[in-house]
Amino acid sequence: MSSTLFSAINAGASALEAQRARMEVAISNLANAESTRGPNGEPYRRREVVLESVPGDGQPGEFEATGVRVAAVLQDQAEFRRRYEPSHPDANDEGFVSVPNVDVPEEMVDMLGAARAYQANLTAINLIRDTIQKALDLAR
Amino acid sequence: MADISDSAIIAALGRQMTQAVQKQAVAAGNLANVDTPGYKAREVRFEALLDEELGAVGMKATDGRHFGTPTIADTPTPTEKAGLQARRDGNNVQVDRELLALGRATGEFNAAQTVLAAKFRLVRYAINEGR
Repeated sequence: MSSTLFSAINAGASALEAQRARMEVAISNLANAESTRGPNGEPYRRREVVLESVPGDGQPGEFEATGVRVAAVLQDQAEFRRRYEPSHPDANDEGFVSVPNVDVPEEMVDMLGAARAYQANLTAINLIRDTIQKALDLAR
Repeated sequence: MADISDSAIIAALGRQMTQAVQKQAVAAGNLANVDTPGYKAREVRFEALLDEELGAVGMKATDGRHFGTPTIADTPTPTEKAGLQARRDGNNVQVDRELLALGRATGEFNAAQTVLAAKFRLVRYAINEGR
């Protein structure tokens, strides 16, 4: 029973980590929404976190909560946006600048989603912690 | 008190706590995977298990001296929850639903824990000869 509770806490903790990664990626996307020059000479490409679930490694008969982890951070292969700005140093001959394929409102929504999921998992961890405490109180 | 023994009550309360904890673990796993593409929400249904056991043809005690047959499985496997609308990424976890399930399971656990603690207190009282 106790390993079930601890696996639930571990699942919650893995979710906190995953949601934090999502938040960090959204922030780096926002920060680089105007970065027209990257290390490879291209504008910044939007990054995206892909999550996958991790089944518990418990023995048969044991109950394990399913955790989550970051499977990959992918680069969005969508076209760069083009903006007419002839005075920009990175403008091409026709006066267009390729700017990163980051959509600011979309990143904000993603960040909000990550924050909400983080909160929900924190609530879950607190509830399970209370349960563990209650179970220990039986021995008093 | 003659027909229900203390140890049976304590065992039943222990089972209730175990089941509550398993429900909590499933809800916590669902919450953790709220953003995993393709993840389907799971649930444990002890009620269904009970119905199954009650409907099953088992050995019948026709005499007071027959032993009962233990039928309650302690660890049912979680199944995918049916009838939930999936999002576009194939995930059908609803945060409010899971938090509710988690809260309810915590309540069940606390109820059993409170009764069990009272039971233990009585035992301790008896051991200490009422002091």
